[in-house]
Amino acid sequence: MIIGTLFKQLFGKPATNPFPVKYMPRSVTALLEKVGAGKAAINPPIPVPSDLRGKIAYDRDKCIGCQICIRVCPANVIEFLPEEKKIRMYVARCTFCAQCVDACPVGALSTTDEFLLADTDRFSENLVVG
Amino acid sequence: MNNESISLQIRGGATCYSVPIGPVHPALKEPIRFEFNLDGERIVGVDIKPGFAHRGIEYMGMRRNLIKVLYLAERICGICSISHPLALTQAVENAAGIEVPPRAQYIRAIIGELERIHSHLLWAGVGAHELGFDTLLHLTWKVREKSMDLLEQLTGNRVDYAIPIFSGVRRDIPDEKAHLAYEALDYYRGLLDKMIDAYLHDKSVEMRTRNVGVLSYDDAIALCAVGPTARASGVKKDVRQDMPYLAYADMEIKAITPEDFGTEPIGDVYDNIIVRLLEVAQSIEIIEYCLENMPKGELMSIPKIPALLAALKKAEGEGIGRHEAPRGEVFHYVRLEEGIEEPVVWKVKAPTYNNLMAWIPKFMGEEIADIPIIAASIDPCVCCMDRVHLVDRGGEPSVKVKDELVRLSREKTRRICG
Amino acid sequence: MTATLVSSIWQGVIILFGGALLGMVYKGFDRKLAAQMQGRIGPPLRQPFYDVIKLMIKENVVPDHAVGWLYNLMPIAALVAAATLLFYIPLGGFAPLLGGYGDLILILYLLAVPSLAMMVGGFAAGSPYATVGAQREMVMLMAYEFPLAVTLVSIAWRASYLVPGQPVFSLSVLAAHPLWGAVGPLGVIGLVLLFGALFIVTPAELTKIPFDIPEAETEIAGGLLAEYSGRNLAMFYLADAVKMVVMASLIIALFFPYGLASIFGIGGGWGSLLDVMFYLVKVFVVIFAAVITVRVGFARLKIDQVTRLFWLPVTGAALLGLLLLALDGIV
Repeated sequence: MIIGTLFKQLFGKPATNPFPVKYMPRSVTALLEKVGAGKAAINPPIPVPSDLRGKIAYDRDKCIGCQICIRVCPANVIEFLPEEKKIRMYVARCTFCAQCVDACPVGALSTTDEFLLADTDRFSENLVVG
Repeated sequence: MNNESISLQIRGGATCYSVPIGPVHPALKEPIRFEFNLDGERIVGVDIKPGFAHRGIEYMGMRRNLIKVLYLAERICGICSISHPLALTQAVENAAGIEVPPRAQYIRAIIGELERIHSHLLWAGVGAHELGFDTLLHLTWKVREKSMDLLEQLTGNRVDYAIPIFSGVRRDIPDEKAHLAYEALDYYRGLLDKMIDAYLHDKSVEMRTRNVGVLSYDDAIALCAVGPTARASGVKKDVRQDMPYLAYADMEIKAITPEDFGTEPIGDVYDNIIVRLLEVAQSIEIIEYCLENMPKGELMSIPKIPALLAALKKAEGEGIGRHEAPRGEVFHYVRLEEGIEEPVVWKVKAPTYNNLMAWIPKFMGEEIADIPIIAASIDPCVCCMDRVHLVDRGGEPSVKVKDELVRLSREKTRRICG
Repeated sequence: MTATLVSSIWQGVIILFGGALLGMVYKGFDRKLAAQMQGRIGPPLRQPFYDVIKLMIKENVVPDHAVGWLYNLMPIAALVAAATLLFYIPLGGFAPLLGGYGDLILILYLLAVPSLAMMVGGFAAGSPYATVGAQREMVMLMAYEFPLAVTLVSIAWRASYLVPGQPVFSLSVLAAHPLWGAVGPLGVIGLVLLFGALFIVTPAELTKIPFDIPEAETEIAGGLLAEYSGRNLAMFYLADAVKMVVMASLIIALFFPYGLASIFGIGGGWGSLLDVMFYLVKVFVVIFAAVITVRVGFARLKIDQVTRLFWLPVTGAALLGLLLLALDGIV
């Protein structure tokens, strides 16, 4: 019955990956400061596959300004800069579908496996590409 | 005590009070409102009021070009997230006359079946939670992680896989990834006996689900129930069997009913558990067949996106697409007109819409304690279902019948389309 | 006279605080071990302390439709009754503080009071969910009181043959004369049946799965306790923690009152300490078996299934145990 499974799990390892820390800290901001200063460690998340659809990377030099990516983006993430004929992406709205990556004729866009993007500011440096 | 929140009516000796469940309630995973009339613990009347998850998706869809609509359709629901794109792509390809290469059809079927495995395991865990059996919830969701990890490896994301696109699929399943899939399938095959043991041979689960929430065969046919809800009552209805599409056309898929487990179908919650767990086994076989017999070839028949957009803009006609989602038959209708990028009409019919009415015979005569498990037994996906919301400021409560609804909808369409 | 009075008051205070603290420690173990069994990490062991402290500082909401004075009085009644029980049950090998003033019959009544208080509080809360929960608690109280009474009275009655002339309803007397060694084989089977009945009554008394239908979370959103918050909820929480210790101590006093000190012949202060440690371990084992393992291993039963279970098989087992004890006395 189920009792056997229960006892096996009682003495085994839990299925949860304790990312970032095992128990809720007294103060989250204090913990983050300590991590930044190198005095505390955070458990890493489960490794993700290399072709995860994470934050989109933009190669400015390859871009020819054709705007096909803007036509296919479902979330209106991409803004066209007419003077330079390049684009800017606002990751805060991105749904990470990577349709722009498929649509680009010169391969200026590619997916990365970066997904830890939480931030308090929608327009921080991490969340604006290009 | 003068309680206005409990309305007491003395009716022929029996005291009848009404209890609202929802839209926010621990038993419901999504917002929907029930109003039960109770006599002690027995349910003597039920009224269902949906409409809390209506987001105006079809309205948004009529203002975006078809590729954007595809990603909007994907986000109609998180659990059945590939069912809507599969039906939409079939509808548009039907309307525009675009051919899909065979390899793409097999890959679409594989991802669809993987979604069925993850969705049925999710349902099994949620059902256990409604029964108060949290241990089974955690065990089932632990094993569900393997399918989510496999989907992440194959498609790049655990939910919202972004695999189907008009004229094909976006990603291939090369041999290195295929062996990951075989590993996951072996894991699930070995696990299925344990799951059947934990759910179907457990005394307390059986006490709570046998003969609870019964939907008879005749009721299931009369109320047009679809999916595992209908199959649990013995109705052999399955889109993959009746109107084969994608890779299912090369296989003989049989609708699974409790007779495949050896018991007579009654249509209670226990039969729903049987059908869903056996469907997981069926999905494993289907995925294996597809992986072994996958034809070689291209992935999209119109690979360049600008060419695809042009082809869709030039298309004219109407098309329908159907898919057997984990909850039943999902149905999309599009009408395209030449020179217009957006779909002129887009209508989505989710499987829960059919199964809503099945709730009424299931609830009557049961106890309050059965409400969560019966509500969960049809596997409701309310966010898929909420398509129409009728707003009437200051009127009396009324019932609108078919002719009036058609008239109101036509007026609204004329107002929107100008 | 005043010296004994002052020392009694000190002992009472220690018992009260000790009981509450122990209850929360065992609640912490309950959550941690149940989580481990389900494959999770679970909260840290000190979580119940955090919970009670946080509840105490939160706002106490009294609904508009509630009967205010009853609603606020019932948590106090539940906590007071549960705490009073601590004075009548032998804890840690010591005699109960008020042993001479109350016995098993009083304990039986006091055990029902926290459930009654929760029930009245549920009816006073004025919400349909609380009403349904209170009705269920009422029915469940009627269901499990029968086998509980049969078990307690059977043990006391059999003990009256063993030690004629002593007040056998007093727990200190029962703890001093455990029945296992004093009955024949028929009696041992009878005692096992009675122990089984009490074992099944324990999760019902504490409203834990599979018998937590009055507080069913998924069905009636917390049922009885749906409207309670802040200090009132903290008092119900503490009452539940203390009741856990009380039920476990009751089982130990009736069936396993053995102490290690007498076996190893250690006397004085060290002996008492050893007895207290052993008692804590025994309480942990009882809670693990009767509350934690049962809580994770079963689904929640419906109210008619609970009633049928208690009135037919469990009462039948208890009555059969009584019969076997009686036969053992004759044979």
